[in-house]
Amino acid sequence: MTPVYLQRGALQCALGADLATASRALGDDRKAKGRSFLLHELQQPRTYLDVAGPAHTLDARLDQLLRETLGAEHGSLDDCVLIVASTSLDIVDLETQAAEQGQFLPDDSTSLDRIAEQLRERWGFADAFTLNTACTSAANGLLYGARMLADGQFARAVLIAYETPSALAMQGFGALDLLSPSGHYRPFHPERDGLVLGETYAAALLSLEPGAAPLARLLGGFSACDTSSLTTTREDGSHIDWVMQQALKSAERTAGDIALVKLHGTATQANDVAERNGMLSLYGEHMPALCVLKPWLGHTLGACGLSETLLLMKALQQHQLPGLDYAAEASLPLSCERIQLPGDAVLLANFFGFGGNNASLVLQCMGGAQ
Amino acid sequence: MKVIAASEIRGSASTSDKDLKAALSQWLSNPPRRIDRLIFQALLGAAALKDHVRSDCGLYLASCHPARPTMIALLEAVCVQHKQPKPFEFVNSVSNAAGFHVAQQLGLEGPNLFIGAGPRVWSQLMGLARLDVQAGVISQALLLVVDEQGDFCVQGVLLEGDGELGTNSFGELAAGIQVQQLALN
Repeated sequence: MTPVYLQRGALQCALGADLATASRALGDDRKAKGRSFLLHELQQPRTYLDVAGPAHTLDARLDQLLRETLGAEHGSLDDCVLIVASTSLDIVDLETQAAEQGQFLPDDSTSLDRIAEQLRERWGFADAFTLNTACTSAANGLLYGARMLADGQFARAVLIAYETPSALAMQGFGALDLLSPSGHYRPFHPERDGLVLGETYAAALLSLEPGAAPLARLLGGFSACDTSSLTTTREDGSHIDWVMQQALKSAERTAGDIALVKLHGTATQANDVAERNGMLSLYGEHMPALCVLKPWLGHTLGACGLSETLLLMKALQQHQLPGLDYAAEASLPLSCERIQLPGDAVLLANFFGFGGNNASLVLQCMGGAQ
Repeated sequence: MKVIAASEIRGSASTSDKDLKAALSQWLSNPPRRIDRLIFQALLGAAALKDHVRSDCGLYLASCHPARPTMIALLEAVCVQHKQPKPFEFVNSVSNAAGFHVAQQLGLEGPNLFIGAGPRVWSQLMGLARLDVQAGVISQALLLVVDEQGDFCVQGVLLEGDGELGTNSFGELAAGIQVQQLALN
């Protein structure tokens, strides 16, 4: 694949209201304090990680992301495609409407391309579409945005990825018994008890040119559908292994070139077993450095492909990654020591989701920790 | 790229999920259980082309709306009645659930993308499919668009080969091809 640069990025998440603040918080190993909500009927508490800072409307947040990502002198956007990656889209508005009306009518349903189309009209993008492949949405947005640039379809691509604090998501994952009762988000821990959802709004500008201060270079990636189950991937990790291998092939790299693997690590029973097995298939017992980000960010669902990528690459540029306090007990060799990589290190980043979607990206650092 | 097969399924608002299931049985011997209307519709558009599809095929699916009955059930359960949603309804509401079932039923091993269908949906789907064909990831691409606004229409085309088609509508794509049609009124 022709490499593409993440020229600029913006992130609002539980760790901070901007990317620099969030990456500093990660570097300092400061975790966000979640809020508690109750599962309907069961009346059991679960934890949710809201974005830090004051509340804003979705439109205001998305416009702010675009201003930050495009910069003041972005010029006409008639050479730029916008990809909106989100599983929640405008669902919070629909939830409010249903609650106020006491019902939800067929005509209340909004079109799935509404937000992308509104942003296209408001900002003048050449084209815009909504991409929804569950928790791989933003990873696919990066991959296909990069391929569109390499193909010459557009000169620039902007990926917006976000997940709002949706009651449907909170109660739905609760109904599937996938949310952590303890609120301790511990991927690959033997006593892990599920995931903690997180709110996020993220954007990145992709280009074939590096720009003044690129965050990362996307060297390749791969995405495919494991049709064995709608909600889990093959437990033996064979599909994950294959996807990682295909991603490396597309980047013309080998597993031995990888300095760090950013694991998907949802802390659900099935995902962590499958990912562990996939890693063992690819690497055996000799693995590169490993990291997880969800204990700090929460699971940001369809946006995690971008929220985690931006946070990881910025943190590696400016700081070090924190060690994991339970690393000694984890089922994969995660590090309890801080992680610092060479300035041009190559990483593999995994993102898996419902619908059998598995994706891996190969990324290169642009400047190391200082 | 070359269009090698196309399908068009039409029905009305009164066409029930039971009707959709019955129609599907002519192509699929063992359709999935507990699926919603959007999944039925996507399966119908895809199953009509089943005989032409190889495993190294990508799926590029678009819909204007989520399955409205599923959204109504979920929103009213969670936001009005303050109940937990039914797990199968929540899982079905994941937009790419329809793509998963199509891939599983047809044995597709390629990429599986879902986009919101807007005014440029066919050019967007073709653009995404062409990228995967060019990258050598797949040799075939199945494009499906589901549109339900009162009546519903599912349109599908199966493409193979490289290059641009220069067409932006189902009508142009399917011109000269015998379209597998089904009317469920």
